[in-house]
Amino acid sequence: MSINKRVLFACGTGIATSTVVSNAVVEAMKERGINIDARQCKATEVRSELNGMDLIVSTTQLPADLPVPSMVTLAFLTGMGKAEALDKIEAALRG
Amino acid sequence: MDAFLSGLKAAVDTLGATVLLPIVIFIIAIVLGAKVGKAFRAAVTIGVAFIGINLVLGLMLGSIGDVAQAIVTNTGIHRDIVDVGWPSAAAIAFGSSVGLWVIPIGIAVNVVLLLTRMTRTLNVDVWNFWHFAFIGSLAVAATGSLAYGLVVAALMAALSLLFADWSARAVQKFYGIPGVSVPHLASAQILPIAIVVNWIIERIPGINKINISTETIERRFGVFGEPVVLGLIIGLVLGVIAYYNAGDFGTVLSKVLQTGMTLAAVMLLLPRMVKILMEGLLPVSEAAQEFVRKRTGERELLVGLDSAILIGHPAAISSSLILVPIAIILSVILPGNRVILFADLAVIPFIVALTAPLMRGNVFRMVIVGTVTLAVGFYVANALAPLFTTAAVDSGFKMPENAVQITSVVDGFLWISYAVIAAIRGLGAAGLALLAAIIAACFWLYRRNTLAWERAAGAEDDEVEQKG
Repeated sequence: MSINKRVLFACGTGIATSTVVSNAVVEAMKERGINIDARQCKATEVRSELNGMDLIVSTTQLPADLPVPSMVTLAFLTGMGKAEALDKIEAALRG
Repeated sequence: MDAFLSGLKAAVDTLGATVLLPIVIFIIAIVLGAKVGKAFRAAVTIGVAFIGINLVLGLMLGSIGDVAQAIVTNTGIHRDIVDVGWPSAAAIAFGSSVGLWVIPIGIAVNVVLLLTRMTRTLNVDVWNFWHFAFIGSLAVAATGSLAYGLVVAALMAALSLLFADWSARAVQKFYGIPGVSVPHLASAQILPIAIVVNWIIERIPGINKINISTETIERRFGVFGEPVVLGLIIGLVLGVIAYYNAGDFGTVLSKVLQTGMTLAAVMLLLPRMVKILMEGLLPVSEAAQEFVRKRTGERELLVGLDSAILIGHPAAISSSLILVPIAIILSVILPGNRVILFADLAVIPFIVALTAPLMRGNVFRMVIVGTVTLAVGFYVANALAPLFTTAAVDSGFKMPENAVQITSVVDGFLWISYAVIAAIRGLGAAGLALLAAIIAACFWLYRRNTLAWERAAGAEDDEVEQKG
C-alpha cells in the first residue's frame, strides 16, 4: 500500500534548485511507496504556503519555528549524502 | 570555420529556438550519456517551455508597453525600456545561437581549468550556464559574429569559476555550507563594488557604527517578498499614472484594475514557464555532472551551486526587501534613466546575497552596496537595452508594435556585461584578447595571494589557523 503525502519544496527562487530537489525526491519516494504531492515556493513564501503540508524540504535557510517538520539539505544538488537525506525524508513522512 | 558558423547562425534564425533547441539538447544529452527516452522527453519539454515563455512575455509586453506609452504621453517621462525579468533573459540566452553551444563550452572550460588546477570548483549548475550564453548573445548582437559570442561565453564561464573559488571560503563560513561554492556571475559581480564601498564606510565616523538587525524588517517589508502581491501593486500604481485621464471614472477604474491583474499574472506565470525549461534541462545537467566527475577523478572539489541556496538567509532577504522600494525610487529619480522596473524586483536577493559575509550580515551596509550596484546597473541597462532587444528578437521572441526596448536586472544590470561589450566594440578581436588577459591575470594573482583575496571577500582568518 502506498501512502500519499504533501511536501513543500523551497529555495531562493521557488524555481531553480527546488525543481531539482522536488524531481529527485518525488521519484525516489515513489520507489519507496510514498506518493508525494509536491509544491514549490520561495523561502520567503513558506509561511503562507505551508498549510496542509506534511514536510518542508529547502535548499536554503528557512524561517525559525515553523509549525511543520522541515529540513534544509544540499544533498540533491551536490550529489553527496543523497541516500541519507532520502532516508531522513522517508522517516519524516512515515513518522 | 566562419562560413560554418554563419551558416549555423542562419539555421538558428530560420528554425527558431522552439525547434532547434530541442534537437540540440537531445543530441547533447545523448552524447553525455543520458537515456534516449529521457533525453527525448526533456528535449520536447524545452521546446514547450519556449512557447510558454513567449506567450507570457507577449502578455506582459503588451500590457506594460501600452502603459509605458501612456505614461510618456501623460507625463512626458520616458520609461520605455521594460524589465522583462531573468526568466526571459534565460530563455533568450538558451534560445540564442550561443545558447546552443553553451553547455559543451561550459563543461569544456570547467574540465580544462580543473585539470590544469586553475580552479577547485566543479560547476554542476548547468542551468545557470545561461548567464554565459546571455553575455555571449549580447556580443553576437553587437558584432554579428557567432565566434565572438562563443569566446565571450567561454571567458564568462572561466570568470564565474574564479569568482566561485574566490568567495568560497567566506560563503561556506557565513552561510554554513561546507564544500560548496557559488559560480554565479549575477551574484558575484557585486564583490568588487562591495569591497570598495565597505572600505569607504569603514572610514566614515558614525556611519561605520550603524548596524541594522534583521528581525523587524521581514515583518514590515514582507509584502515585497510576495511576487503576486508585488506585481499587483506595481500594476495598479503604473495603471493609475498611465490611465488617470483615460475617460470617465468607470473606464479609468477598469483599465487600472486590469493592468494590476495582468502584471500580477505575469509575476506568477513567468517563473512557472521557466520551471518547465528547468525540468527539460534536468536530465542534461545530471548527465553533465556524471560526465565531468568521471573525468576529474577523486580530487576533493568544491561543488558549484546556484546562489538560490543563499537567498533564504535573513540578511539577504531583509536587505533585498528594503532594496525593492529603493530600486523603484532610483528608477524614477535617476537622470536619463528610461528603465521601468518590474519582473526582476523579485530577484534582488541574488544581487546582494554574496555581500553578506563581507558585511557580517549588516543589513545597513548591504543596502548601501545594493543601492550603489543598482544605480550603476540602471546606466548599464540603459546602454545595453538595444542589444538586449536585438538578442531577444534573434532568439525568436516577438517584440510588440509599440517599439519598447527590454532589459532585466539579472543580467542586464551587470557591469560585467557592459565591460565585455565595451571592450569588443572599442577594440574588436583585441578586446577579446584584452578580456582574456585580464581574466587570466586575475586567476594568477588569486593563486599567488589566495589568503588576501579571500579575506577581501569576507573570509575570517581564524578558520585558516584551525585548518592548520
